[in-house]
Amino acid sequence: MTQKYWFALLLAFVLGSALTVIYVKHESRVLFSELRTVQKQQDQAVIQWSRLQLQNSTLATHSNVEAQARKTLKMRLPETVQLVELP
Amino acid sequence: MNKPVDNQAVFFTGRHYLVLSMLLCFLVGLIGRAFYLQIVENEFLVDQGVQRQIRTIQTPAYRGAILDRFGSPLAISTPVDSVWVNPSEILQNLGALKTVTKKLGLNYSRTVSNLKEKANKEFVYLKRQLKPEVAESVASGVEGVYLQREYNRYYPAGEVVSHLVGFTDIDDQGQEGLELVYQSWLEAQPGSRRVIRNRKGAVIEELAQVKRSHSGKDIYTSIDMRLQYIAYRSLARAIQYHGAKSGSAVLLDSRNGEVLAMVNLPSYNSNQRKKMTASQQRNRALTDVFEPGSAMKPFTLAAAIDRGKYNQKSLVDTSPGWFMVSGHPVKDIRNYGKLDLASILRKSSNVGASRIALSMKPEELWQSLTDYGFGEPSGVSFPAESSGYFRHHSQWQPLDHASMGFGYGLSVTITQLAKAYAVIANQGRELEISLLKKQVDDSQKNQIARHVMKSSTAKMIIEMMEEVVGPKGTAAQAAVTGYRVAGKTGTAKKSIAGGYDEDDYISVFAGLAPASDPRLVMAVMIDEPSQNGYYGGTVAAPVFREVMSNALRILDIAPDDLSTLQARLSPKGKGA
Repeated sequence: MTQKYWFALLLAFVLGSALTVIYVKHESRVLFSELRTVQKQQDQAVIQWSRLQLQNSTLATHSNVEAQARKTLKMRLPETVQLVELP
Repeated sequence: MNKPVDNQAVFFTGRHYLVLSMLLCFLVGLIGRAFYLQIVENEFLVDQGVQRQIRTIQTPAYRGAILDRFGSPLAISTPVDSVWVNPSEILQNLGALKTVTKKLGLNYSRTVSNLKEKANKEFVYLKRQLKPEVAESVASGVEGVYLQREYNRYYPAGEVVSHLVGFTDIDDQGQEGLELVYQSWLEAQPGSRRVIRNRKGAVIEELAQVKRSHSGKDIYTSIDMRLQYIAYRSLARAIQYHGAKSGSAVLLDSRNGEVLAMVNLPSYNSNQRKKMTASQQRNRALTDVFEPGSAMKPFTLAAAIDRGKYNQKSLVDTSPGWFMVSGHPVKDIRNYGKLDLASILRKSSNVGASRIALSMKPEELWQSLTDYGFGEPSGVSFPAESSGYFRHHSQWQPLDHASMGFGYGLSVTITQLAKAYAVIANQGRELEISLLKKQVDDSQKNQIARHVMKSSTAKMIIEMMEEVVGPKGTAAQAAVTGYRVAGKTGTAKKSIAGGYDEDDYISVFAGLAPASDPRLVMAVMIDEPSQNGYYGGTVAAPVFREVMSNALRILDIAPDDLSTLQARLSPKGKGA
């Protein structure tokens, strides 16, 4: 008699674990597709970052900055007369 | 009520068995089919399934960036996509190929014949290095057309730093410069993964990582782009103004040997290399050698002072302004009479320097100059770097010995010259030159570095070289307001086969600042100036002045000669 109970119990376990496998598999696929989405976003971000870095360094070329400072902003080096030495 | 039911049951018995046996037949059929699929055809079917579902995809990895000392990019990789096809696949789908070639701007019929030639291959590029969005729009949804992620190398600073950084080829392999030297450090190793894809081609599960991807590591160079740009601009201006053939300049931090700027002209834009010539491509500061001429004299004097042969007060008789060594004259431009060492440097007397050189044994002079770094590699690792040309003393002729004193008979790179001046600036201690940013604790290492020159000698030489830049010296144009500057000019005739060219010169200036506590060393070399003068003091010294004054300001180095500033202040009163 006890054997029968054991059998029923194990059967229930087997069925339960089988269903859990299905559920976990499904869950893992969902999570994986999420991971892929995030990875794609990361990839896009990297592309954008490197492009922004390039854009930044192109705009901040020293010759460009110098020309802007001198022509547009009319900046110049201070003459020594205007320098003040702090103690 | 019961009977009819019984009758019915009896009535249906035959049918019951019929249905049952039919179901049994189906069952047997199904079991047979399952047996066939699972056992007999199993291998073939699994294989087919794998082919349809499982793919090995690449995990991208990027090549490391090359950065200046503050992290602004000198070379950086941006993602691009290359379109590739499997010829045997795409040739069965010519309609798709036609649209793809149209989108890519390729010739359709030529592409087809090209692919037919390569039909036995599995991987043929259609077009390389497209913008990711463009490539995506071409390849998405087209069977047999694939994308491969690659990286395009971009050089934001272009020609200002191209010699140093070098470049890579289309396969991301370093070809020149730092890109080549540090290839294994920068290199990216794309990984691969096995994944399951669904019917639409989307990845739904990762099975295994076949190979880990390794992105390259970044390199921080010792270059300060602000100074690099100023040096490039000044050198370019000087070369144009003097109609010179080429030029180089090197700026060193004399405390730890970092190269803050290294520029050469002519240069090229590393982003557009189609028109590049070999002459533009050389990093002359490290590969090209020249005879330094008078810029060598401080080292002759240092070697003699170090050996106690001369001191600040010794007089050298240079009259009558020339003397003969094995049938060749050593000449000054006029008879200077008796000169002390400072005046020999200030007036740049060949006779004086030569007499001092001859007062030492060849092996003594050779040993000292070798210690200062002449004839030795400068210590930076760079492709095709030259160690200069400096013969062993056992091969010296008497004329070599005499002319070595004023910088003929040996050749150096401008970097070697800058390094030797850095020895003087560094109180006579040996210096390790580096193109990479050094760690902070390296400056402590410098404190225990070997003295190749006594610190008292180095101090004396700096004082003498200050007079060269003074109002009576040959390089008054190197003076920087507010700072004490020490340096030496050189104007050397170019050696040609069988002698010296009388019309072509090399103008050199090397110096350091501030003289009271040297921080920066710079050497400038301009090759074959053809107009507006050719002396080192008129051609190279102004470049030194322009770069050095900016560098001292940018690096926030305190002025050590307030008297010149005060002199300027006084006319307008002290109200500031």
